[in-house]
Amino acid sequence: MTQVLGRLRRQSIIPINLLITVGVILLILVLFPLLAGPFQTNFMAKLLLFGVLAVSLDLVWGFTGILSFAHGVFFTLGGYAMAYYLKLNLSASANTYGGTLPDFMVWNGLKELPWFIAPLQIFPIAMAAMVLVPAGFAYIIGWFIFRSKVSGVYITIITLAISSALTTFFVSQQAYTGGTNGITDVSKLSLFGLEIPFLGLYYIILAFTVFVMATAWWLTQSNFGLILRSIKENEKRISYLGYDVASYKIFIWTLSAGIAGIAGGLFVPLNRFISPVYLAVAFGTQVVIWVAVGGRGTLLGPFIAAILLGQVQNYADRVTQDWQLFVGVLLLVVVLFLPDGLMGLVPKKFRLSDATRLMGIVGTNPTSGFVQPRLFDWYTPLRSLVTTLTGFVSSGLRSPRPTQDEADRMLVGKPNANSVRRKL
Amino acid sequence: MDLALSLGQLLAEAPPPKAIDFVTLLNQLLNGIGIVGILLLTGLGLAITFGVMRIINLAHGEFIMLGAYTTFLLQKNFKMDLLLTIPFAFIVTAIIGALLELTIIRRLYGRPLETLLATWGLSIVIQGVVKLIFTAQLRYVKAPPYIKGNWRLAEIGGQAIEISYYRLFIIFVALALFGITAFLLYKTTFGRQVRAVTQNRDMAKCLGVNTGLVDMATFAYGCGLAGVAGSVISSLKSVAPPMGQDYLVDAWMTVVTGGVDKLVGVLAGSFLIGQSNAVLAYLLNDPTARVIVLAAVIVLIRYRPEGLFTVQKRG
Repeated sequence: MTQVLGRLRRQSIIPINLLITVGVILLILVLFPLLAGPFQTNFMAKLLLFGVLAVSLDLVWGFTGILSFAHGVFFTLGGYAMAYYLKLNLSASANTYGGTLPDFMVWNGLKELPWFIAPLQIFPIAMAAMVLVPAGFAYIIGWFIFRSKVSGVYITIITLAISSALTTFFVSQQAYTGGTNGITDVSKLSLFGLEIPFLGLYYIILAFTVFVMATAWWLTQSNFGLILRSIKENEKRISYLGYDVASYKIFIWTLSAGIAGIAGGLFVPLNRFISPVYLAVAFGTQVVIWVAVGGRGTLLGPFIAAILLGQVQNYADRVTQDWQLFVGVLLLVVVLFLPDGLMGLVPKKFRLSDATRLMGIVGTNPTSGFVQPRLFDWYTPLRSLVTTLTGFVSSGLRSPRPTQDEADRMLVGKPNANSVRRKL
Repeated sequence: MDLALSLGQLLAEAPPPKAIDFVTLLNQLLNGIGIVGILLLTGLGLAITFGVMRIINLAHGEFIMLGAYTTFLLQKNFKMDLLLTIPFAFIVTAIIGALLELTIIRRLYGRPLETLLATWGLSIVIQGVVKLIFTAQLRYVKAPPYIKGNWRLAEIGGQAIEISYYRLFIIFVALALFGITAFLLYKTTFGRQVRAVTQNRDMAKCLGVNTGLVDMATFAYGCGLAGVAGSVISSLKSVAPPMGQDYLVDAWMTVVTGGVDKLVGVLAGSFLIGQSNAVLAYLLNDPTARVIVLAAVIVLIRYRPEGLFTVQKRG
């Protein structure tokens, strides 16, 4: 009996451990509000959004190799869009000076709403702005810097400059942005006239998180993700193979900024204010640290790192003021000794990257070394998902004997078309 | 709230349109020289660590901060004159720099992004340690009494054209350090070795250059320069653990604008950025000037990542 089980386990190509890990995490998050108090739930919701922010940076850094300190900027731009909407929809009685004009505009002497802020009163426009402003800004930057000979480190320095410049700009435009204080005392988020209860907000954020994680997984599983990883490994070679590297970079950069923007937008109703603190370089580096510590190029790593570091910080702040020192040491240790981040410490079978390899073998049928340069490859991940699930079902019912061909492909280290494909 | 309201009314009155006032502009340009001095001082160390050694040093601001704290400590405990503390600031930061090069930076050569992360970690750690020792309290350093006041250059229509002696002092120190560094780099055996190592490490090694020693000494020298910058700047503003962050981005912009191929790039970069900042701040206002200058630098990096004053090379 044990022999049979052992054989089964060996033959099983489904990352059961991984599925269990993800399932347990999801279960904890769903049940979290029941187990913890409102303060903890609120805090957890913020951390979920930080986790999403980390994953969005991971898409451009961990998978594509572009290190950006500007993801806090995209997050905050989305946040400001939402904050304007919530601020402008304060009831007149709740507004400090009555009327519709926000308090910071009144005391900076504005007589009426500026034309570029006025449309944000309307819900759909505000929601669109939450995604499109950061994404559009990212697109312009991306279009500007990726279609040039500017290389890795200089791009990072440009993102530093962008973050620094925008912080100065937002602080200086006090009448329009609320200056250093930002936009405070915003109204609660309501949908169709109904105020969303606190728990509802938590589950909206959780749903968004799951959606982003699934999308990110989908994207990195697809041929598109393969090309991204190839760009990270060897940009020159992938461009010699005929891929337009710049447009891939611009696409993932813009997408990631859009995700960060939505996260920022959802952050405001929780946080009840947004300020240039989140634009500053310090917050941008915080995001970088989450990704570095969690593990570049894994999806779960940065997500969990953001949540864990946030939780630990919450407790450490009560005990000691020197939490930052610990973060610095952690970053140094990770850079020097753990290039794969804390995910590198996790046994291989629990890792998503390993799962992708296994699924790649099952799900795709590589016949050539060339990957179709399709931008929206919905097919490959779907096929691997279906094959995995059907494999799960069938292996649960009976133990299939792998054919010689399959067995060969399952052997790790044996060169096959798939590993050739990955090294492309 | 009344206060806020009246403040709002005050701010609401639009400032009268500015006519270009010759005297104010001239003063602003002289003011700009002070900015140029600071940029040159803070950029010079980076021109060594990044320009010569290609280390993406994000902990540069923290070495400035360490220099400032050295000056503060010496002044507090031994009542030392600020000028006398400068060599000590150089030595202390150089030693710390050398130790960090030996233990951390050395492991990361040839991996620019990793270096960037590690130096950022270093900057957090240094800030944390300094905060642990000195607390986050703001500290103040006294400027020497004999370089106080303003130097009146001329008087036009009752308005003075003047520059503060301290700004002159800053630019003097910056230019002197620039001269010393250029001499070291281009006229001495050590400088030749440094350039040889950066151009072709393996070949230099074959020819008997102790590359490890050269790396350590160069990095230590760059950090020492940052320390001097911190010491000189310390009396301008308060001394506090996060002070280095303010200078980091500007120092980077200076070095990147001028280009790092030649040392003269940092001089040109600081002059360009400092003066355009001053003029724009006169025409518009300070934050707008900063935003415009940063945007201009971004555009510049886009088209000439190697900097303005670099000869195009092949390969």
